[in-house]
Amino acid sequence: MRKPFFATIMAVLAFSGFLWAPAAAEPRGSLRVAIATMPNSLDVPVAAERQATTTAWHLYNSLTWLDDSGKPVPALAESWTVSEDGTTYTFQLRKGVTFHNGEPFTADSVVFSWKRGKGNKMQWKKKWAMAKSVEKVDDYTVRVRTDGPNPILLRVIADYWAMVPPKYIAKVGEKGFAKHPVGTGPFRFVEWKKGDRIVFEANPDYWEKGLPKIKKLIFRPIPESSTRVAAIRTGEVDIVGRLSSEEAGTLKGLKNIKVITYPVDRVYYIAFNNMTSGKGTPVENREVRLAMNYAVDVDAILDALFEGHGRPLTGFVTYKNLGYDKDLKPYGYDVKKAKALMKKAGYEKGFKIDFACPAGAYTNFEQVCQAIQGYLGDIGVEADLKIMESGKYWDLEAKKELPPMFGDSWSESSGESLPRLQGALGGKSASFSAWEDPKILDYLKKIGTTVDDGARAKLYVELQRYMYENPPFIYLYQPVAFEAINVKVKNYKPRPPENYFLKDTWIEE
Amino acid sequence: MQRYILSRLFQSIMILFGVLFIIFFMLQATGDPVSLMVSRNASPEEIEAVREAMGFNRPLIVQFGDFIAGAVVGDFGDSLRHKQPAMDLILERLPATVELATTALFMAMLIGIPLGLLGGSNPGSLWDTLARGAGLIGQTIPNFWLALILIIVFAVKLGWLPAFGRETWQFLGITLPTRSVILPAFALGLFTMGQLVRFTRSAVMEIRSEDFVRTAYSKGLSDRQIYIRHILRNAAIPLISIIGVQFGYLLSGSIYIETICSWPGLGNLLAEAIGNRDFALVQAIAFFTSLVVVTLNLLTDIAYGLADPRIRYGD
Repeated sequence: MRKPFFATIMAVLAFSGFLWAPAAAEPRGSLRVAIATMPNSLDVPVAAERQATTTAWHLYNSLTWLDDSGKPVPALAESWTVSEDGTTYTFQLRKGVTFHNGEPFTADSVVFSWKRGKGNKMQWKKKWAMAKSVEKVDDYTVRVRTDGPNPILLRVIADYWAMVPPKYIAKVGEKGFAKHPVGTGPFRFVEWKKGDRIVFEANPDYWEKGLPKIKKLIFRPIPESSTRVAAIRTGEVDIVGRLSSEEAGTLKGLKNIKVITYPVDRVYYIAFNNMTSGKGTPVENREVRLAMNYAVDVDAILDALFEGHGRPLTGFVTYKNLGYDKDLKPYGYDVKKAKALMKKAGYEKGFKIDFACPAGAYTNFEQVCQAIQGYLGDIGVEADLKIMESGKYWDLEAKKELPPMFGDSWSESSGESLPRLQGALGGKSASFSAWEDPKILDYLKKIGTTVDDGARAKLYVELQRYMYENPPFIYLYQPVAFEAINVKVKNYKPRPPENYFLKDTWIEE
Repeated sequence: MQRYILSRLFQSIMILFGVLFIIFFMLQATGDPVSLMVSRNASPEEIEAVREAMGFNRPLIVQFGDFIAGAVVGDFGDSLRHKQPAMDLILERLPATVELATTALFMAMLIGIPLGLLGGSNPGSLWDTLARGAGLIGQTIPNFWLALILIIVFAVKLGWLPAFGRETWQFLGITLPTRSVILPAFALGLFTMGQLVRFTRSAVMEIRSEDFVRTAYSKGLSDRQIYIRHILRNAAIPLISIIGVQFGYLLSGSIYIETICSWPGLGNLLAEAIGNRDFALVQAIAFFTSLVVVTLNLLTDIAYGLADPRIRYGD
């Protein structure tokens, strides 16, 4: 009698993980990260730019999360179902999760966070307003409805919908929340000395067991990149980003420092206008635009200005985006072909055209535009380049008042190129678009309502092929990011949108 | 003296009004902040809605009236980016800038005045060569370049000082500076040091040849007495005005030094606000620093008047 009883107890204990579960490693050490900007807020719906949101996200979770390959995976929602017509998502929430102040995470938190996030003052209200309604079904079930099928909803939720505690905000108010933000995330807030440092510590009650691995996480804003280089050399910080290739070069081979490079989800391009200033100009002609793509030597530009780092683009869908067409090859530098195309278009003698680029907005971009001006000159296109102050430039871009050719860049954090395509090619309904092509608009509509990833990937491929034959841009390059870390930092995995999440990064003592 | 102070005060207020006028209209001329505040995927309707919500669609003169009414009570509205009152953001950053400016001024005075004195009283000597060299270097080396070099030498190579940031030390509830201020303060104070060397040197040289100094020597006074009672006292008058003006300049926060050294002060905040076209914040900082400079100039004028009777009576 005794033996089986004892065995049963042992089995139960073992099963519950009580007896033999290895003691979870305590979070250890502190990790100091240099950031290039001063975050304006640690509240995700208010945080104005990528580095601010990346810093803030360490405090929060969303219903879904993007894994390292960019796929949406469960987070605060354990699972979800999507209705037949693709407009209703039902999320089953994880039980037993608490905010840093002890408040339980429930369906009410989701409804409250959504109502707050789409509020008028919020920077990213549009990302929250993608849901038409968010209702509580029971304490641990919420239903999210959209106007039509939205293939990127789960990604947007992962990227923007940080869950916040309703009772806490009711108690301390928005000002109090801004001073001491509270979430369910792997780290909790300790202090923020404006312009100097942001300090987080490991959340001991974090729902992902064994995480985070670092006890203290400190962000230090260092706007000047040469100072960031100095700070990693002196060991005052462990991770620095946003370095130039030259700066990264000076760090290569130094003891204790590892240089990291990876392609960024960002495109550089020269856009054409067929809606306002470009009407009636040669850029409306397909052959002319193709000729310009052949006339520019992107490889030479990358070699001369970026030490060869960067990938020439084949379109607006970047390498690693869903539906990237790896069969397309960059146009390549072919002046003969470009001249033949110009002749075919009836512009053998070339033409004059206005061209603009922003100043100081992107690394070496002024020089890139000057190089393009030179290349176009070789095929008879006399581009009158104006380099403008960037604030003014974006003003004019939003009003569609830039010249028929203008240079710019567009990044994307969702892992899909749809938002970028809609923004730059959406025609009248998109402020920063100067291009309208019914066929492209048709594709965008189809992609925007196809929920199945495989079917969407196919549509992306078709669209890329169409945009390869009918380019609305001179496609330039996808840049490479340069960062440096101290060798004792382990498992640091920056992502293509130039963000990182440090819950499973650790420090080797 | 009263009339002198009142007229200076009136002038200062007029200057501040002029400053308000300039910062409001100059910033308007740089373009529309709305395009920076919306996401790039925004539709034209959304952009219009934001413009209306922020009041940027009202006539300029109405916006200017609002701006002046707020400015008088220190209210410049909320920073567009931080969504907090601009004045609060300034006050948060002020202690760091005061620490940096005060240290920079002290370092400049500690090096500049003695060197100027030594050089001025021994013309042609080694000290004088040193003083002239320091004056020249201080006024010609760009301080942002110097800051970068100092970081490489003292932080990266020698490891004596931190490469960036501000560390403070709490003692009996008071925040005290640590060695982290030395490098940025030296770079920032360099120009002031150069000015102090040059002005002290030339003041001493000029006063040394005055009749009353010769008289003092002929009375049989010692060098020490002559320097302290006669030369230094008279040389102090031009120095007051330089120190006053320079302190105002240092206190308004240095964009270059604070950015390069990641010093969490006003200059750093201003650089960021300009980059983001954060109208309210740029206006608030511009006005605040003008206020500091004008106030210090006013105080300098008054001190000058107290130290030198010729000035207050001449007015």
